[in-house]
Formats: sequence, C-alpha cells, structure tokens
Amino acid sequence: MNDEIIIDADEVDIPEMGSPNTEIDLAPTRAKPGRATLNTLYLRHIVLPAIFLTVTLLGGLRIASLDGAFVFFRPALVCLIFGAILLVLFARSGVLRVDGWFSESFTPIKNAANGLVITSLFAAATQIFNSLLPEQGLTFWIVAFCFFWTLWNNLFADFDPRQLFRSLGGLFGLAFVAKYLVLANLTAPAGRTWFETLTENPGQEAITRLLDLPRYAGSTGYIQFFAVALFLLGLYLFPATTVQRD
Amino acid sequence: MKEKYIQILGITMALIYGVFVVFLYAAEPRSLEEISSKAIETVQNAATKGQVIMGTYEVDQAKYSEGLNAFRQDNFIVARDALAKADPERRDARTQYYVAYSYYRQGWGRLSNDDALFRQALETLQRVNFTDKNFRSDDADLQLRTPAELKNELEEGLRVTADDFNPLKVLRERK
Repeated sequence: MNDEIIIDADEVDIPEMGSPNTEIDLAPTRAKPGRATLNTLYLRHIVLPAIFLTVTLLGGLRIASLDGAFVFFRPALVCLIFGAILLVLFARSGVLRVDGWFSESFTPIKNAANGLVITSLFAAATQIFNSLLPEQGLTFWIVAFCFFWTLWNNLFADFDPRQLFRSLGGLFGLAFVAKYLVLANLTAPAGRTWFETLTENPGQEAITRLLDLPRYAGSTGYIQFFAVALFLLGLYLFPATTVQRD
Repeated sequence: MKEKYIQILGITMALIYGVFVVFLYAAEPRSLEEISSKAIETVQNAATKGQVIMGTYEVDQAKYSEGLNAFRQDNFIVARDALAKADPERRDARTQYYVAYSYYRQGWGRLSNDDALFRQALETLQRVNFTDKNFRSDDADLQLRTPAELKNELEEGLRVTADDFNPLKVLRERK
C-alpha cells in the first residue's frame, strides 16, 4: 500500500552528510545511499521478509487443548491456490507491480532479493488462509467456498490498492470471527468423560462431533489474531515497486 | 551500507528464517524443549543422507553386534531396535536380512503364526532384494540362508491350507 518513491541506490549518487572526506573525496566513485534510502532498503529486504516469514510460521500454529502442545498444521492445497489468486489480485490492483520488482536492468542480486520478498509474501498469504480456514469437515468446505467466491469475483473487479486493502481486511476479519469466535465457542473442551459430556453440555459435544471441529486451546485465537494483524501490517508497508518513477 | 550488502544480508536472513520455518513444519516439535532435540535428529539424518550420496555410508558395527547378540538370545524387539540404529538408512542387505529374520522368528508359532509380523518380514525382505539381489547369509545359525528361502517360508506361513490342520505340525521346528 506504500506508494512512496524509492530511489535505487545503484543508480543515484547521494553524498553522505557529515563525512570527513566529503570535501576531498572528489573522485567519481559510487556514492553511498542516504538515510531515507537505507531505511527503505532495510524495510524492503529485512523487515518485510521477517514479517511475512513470521506470519508463515504462526499461520499454521495451533495449541492443543488437552496438553498445550504445539500443533504445526500444514496448509491444504486450496490455501496455496488462494495464495496464488491473492498475488494475482495484488498485481491487478497495483499493490504489486511486477515490473517494479523484477527487471532485466536490475542486478541479479537485486532480482534474487526481490524474489525472496515476493516468495515470503506468497508463503504468508498461503498461511493466512491456512489460519482462517477451519481445519477439516463441512465448515472447511463452506468457508473455503466463500473465500473462493469472493476472490474469484474480485479477480474481475476494478480495484485500487486502498479498496483491495479494505476488502481483504473485511474478508479476513469476518473469517477470523467465524472461526475463532463462533466455531471456537461451539467446540466442546477436550478431556471430558462421556458422563460429563452428556450431563454438562451435550449440545456442544454434538455440534463438535457433527461439524468435526478440532479442539484447540484459546491461545490459538490470540496467536492467529497476531498473525493476521502482522500480515495486514506487512501489506501496508509493502511497496508497489522498488524503482524510482518520474 | 551499500544496497548490495543489504540485499545479500536480506537474502541470507530470509533463507535462514525460511529453512527454520520449514524445519518446524517438517519436524513438528510439540514444545519449545523438543525443538533442539528435533534439530539434532534432523542434522543427524542429513549427515547420514550425505554419507549415502557421497558413497561413504557404513553400518554402525557396535550397534550391529549389539543387535546380533540380542537376535541370538531371541530378544527380537531389542535386536530390531539396535539393528535399526546400526543401519538407519536401511541400505545394508545383511542387517536388513537379520531384521526380516527376527520378524519371522518372533512371529513363528507351533500352532499358528503371527501374520502381522510375517508381513513385516516380507516387506523387509523386499529391501534386501532391492539392495542386493544375490544376497546370501553366511551365518550358520540361520537355516534359511537366502531371501528366496525365507520368503517361501513366510508365504507358506501366511497361506491357510489343509496341511495347517495336521496335528503333526506341532512337532515341526523353527528354522
């Protein structure tokens, strides 16, 4: 969503302020990038991959209800498809300009570094869908269909980055509420005996079994909230292009 | 810092972090404490795979001897455990033959055989044939020296025939 102009340090000479050699260093050597450029480079090549890979790590992390153990839930194939569609949406709406991230005029290292940022974005997008889709059963297919329907319609709509960002925020927010508030509250806690199940809350147990809902600890919702928020922050910081445009 | 160095730093950090994430999803540790033990296990597996690729893979002789001793004492579970540790890549025909034979001896019974163990023996024998088609054991203690003989014995044990109801069957000996 960040449309600010970024100066390519390999192409532009920027004198370093306060350097003792500023006056005597007259040779036409390659200049060092300025503070703003440096920050932009750090953001693009260090911060953004770190954010997206953290989302990748957390997106599939669940906490078991019974013993609090980590459960690393691998993404279903449909999550990869949704991730790919999301990247196409980014490209169509101008959130990501492909020619601004990959170019024959760039150095191989720059292309490779940009490629890794885009790869981490794809991995994070995949894991966000892994996070928001119910793990199995009927609810998985219903929510997956809703995601597919929305993304498919968006593919043919005219979006600008701001509209897409709002649309995604709404989509992810609704899916989060459906999974981590509604379905989580319908799920019966694990580790109860059949007698406790029958006497305490048989309806909850019946819904859990009927919808095949996994029993995860409440902390899973907190982790996934953080993951979704981090992903949206990453998208907000994500520059559309890495080259200067006049 | 030059742009190039930042890009290289970014590539390196992203690759390291990415490998760590992939490792977590592959190893699936259940707690923070388990991460280090899983990491050691993964490194050991990678080292063994590297040895196989380089052609320097060898069976751990100490574990092999331990497994063989347990096998001779009819302690088949301990034997298989030691043999599995001796040959983690399951590429040594001799070791795998003992594993298959241990399934046979453990599953053999005077009145009836354990079909599940016999089937596992057949699966293991397939690995022996895969690694060495002409394998022949030089162990005098084994009456069935080749995979073909052992396979025949296992298949006979799995098949239900009229001969199975012969009362004289209880007099037969384990091979």
